[in-house]
Amino acid sequence: MQRLGVVGAGTMGIGIVQVAAQQGLDVVACEVDESRMQAAMDGLRGTLARLVDRGRLAQADVDAALSRIQPTTQFADLADVDCAIEVVPEVLDLKRQVFERLDQVCRPEAVLATNTSSLSVTELAAATRRPERLVGLHFFNPVPLMGLVEIVRGLRTDAATLEAARGLVRQLGKTAVEVKDTPGFIVNRVARPFYNEALRLLNDGVADVATIDRIMKLGGGFRMGPFELMDLIGNDVNFAVTSQVFAGYFDDPKYRPSYLQQRVVQAGTLGRKTKRGWYDYE
Amino acid sequence: MRTARGPVRSGEAPGGKVLVAGDASLAEPLAALLAESGCSVSLYVVEGGGVGPAGVDRATDLAAAAKDATIAFETAVWPPERKRALIETLDRALPAEAVLATLATAQVTTELAAWTTRPEQVVGFGMLPGAAAPGLIEIAPGLATDEAATATIEQLLVAAGREVARVRDDAGLVLARILCLIVNEAAAMLMEGAATARDIDTAMKLGTNYPHGPLEWADLLGVDFVYATLAGLRAEQDEDRYRPCPLLRKMVLAGRLGRKTGRGFFEYAERT
Repeated sequence: MQRLGVVGAGTMGIGIVQVAAQQGLDVVACEVDESRMQAAMDGLRGTLARLVDRGRLAQADVDAALSRIQPTTQFADLADVDCAIEVVPEVLDLKRQVFERLDQVCRPEAVLATNTSSLSVTELAAATRRPERLVGLHFFNPVPLMGLVEIVRGLRTDAATLEAARGLVRQLGKTAVEVKDTPGFIVNRVARPFYNEALRLLNDGVADVATIDRIMKLGGGFRMGPFELMDLIGNDVNFAVTSQVFAGYFDDPKYRPSYLQQRVVQAGTLGRKTKRGWYDYE
Repeated sequence: MRTARGPVRSGEAPGGKVLVAGDASLAEPLAALLAESGCSVSLYVVEGGGVGPAGVDRATDLAAAAKDATIAFETAVWPPERKRALIETLDRALPAEAVLATLATAQVTTELAAWTTRPEQVVGFGMLPGAAAPGLIEIAPGLATDEAATATIEQLLVAAGREVARVRDDAGLVLARILCLIVNEAAAMLMEGAATARDIDTAMKLGTNYPHGPLEWADLLGVDFVYATLAGLRAEQDEDRYRPCPLLRKMVLAGRLGRKTGRGFFEYAERT
């Protein structure tokens, strides 16, 4: 692939734009309005400038990467991309509208991809006339540092689209894993017990926060304990993911969220970003 | 009844003999670390294992090895009947005042203690099998356990240079419970055909920074250890939340226990 479209220039979207441009792809970056697009590009220039200051990148490479990015607010500018990735907020109707527009403007053979972490790829594909050309590409935050992309096969995603997705992930310098369109995909599902069972043990009075974290780190070799990690991720975000996976499996008790974590969210003690969560960060 | 022996003073090896009996994947590293700290150690392995660690007396007669021990560690994993038989043998053979530390990841300490005539001297512990040395050992006194017995085990392990954490006696303790439930999800995804074993492990290592992929980790721990922990958790809590993935039970029945049998979720050229 040579030409990539990215719809949505939030943290994840602009991260994908950065990686793609640095890896030599031409990128059309699309946002809803001029000011958001401008802010995202300013942020990206700042990020790249800091990498130059720290000696991680050459100025010439930054200039080349930036020259490959075409910022726009017009969907029509995505007409000739080989693949368009949707990276807008996790709202079903919003994502559906984006795919309806992409389906209209993109070449029939173009791959359409979604970065959703919680919605059904199959359901989004049904909003287009080319469900076999739609695939999930689940990136991880921060995109420039995280090497993993989950390639999600919708019910109707075809083999050629998967092959194109594998090729794109390789071009982006990332490692791909493939997963069926299942709630939470691999990472958000398999990691649930790390948080959820730690909360259950705490709630049941088996051990306290610091003891559970210490056991998981010293005994298990985990780099962070579950409570430290929930504070880093944000308890609101972590609780939302657990709730989505629970709902996705139709209330399977394996994924039942913790009311204790809900209380922490309700109290506004979300973790590091509020200076208080399971631990104090003042 | 109080234990006759007082707690071992911190930083000092106990005078008496320590017997370590059970599955090699836990018994060998435990015996090695206790021997290194200056304890007189006898090792009785009921399953697996090689020549055993240096400086450890390799016992072949369990009752004979138990009769002069002041502390015994029991590490049988699966099935529960085998563990119970070992604990009952130890209870009969050990001196009345000896403390019995028992692997309490598949049954709660209070249940294991109830299999003996000395419940106040039975202390549950938890550690991961398959590692050279445990980074931390959990200690869980049962409802009937005397504080002196718990302190004896705790101080012995601290004297051996181990980190310990006391937790309440609960199914699977902390580390084994959380880790085996992560493996359970990974095994379920594999069974459902949602992703390959290799991709599941790669995703967890790159997406969450886990030290091992959950399925290769299960092969290191032993699939029997994972299944025993989950089955025990399910039995103890009696909740659908803890149902073990059917694939794990089949793997145990088929002898696909991981590295120690040459095949688990992955295949290995050499057994370890």
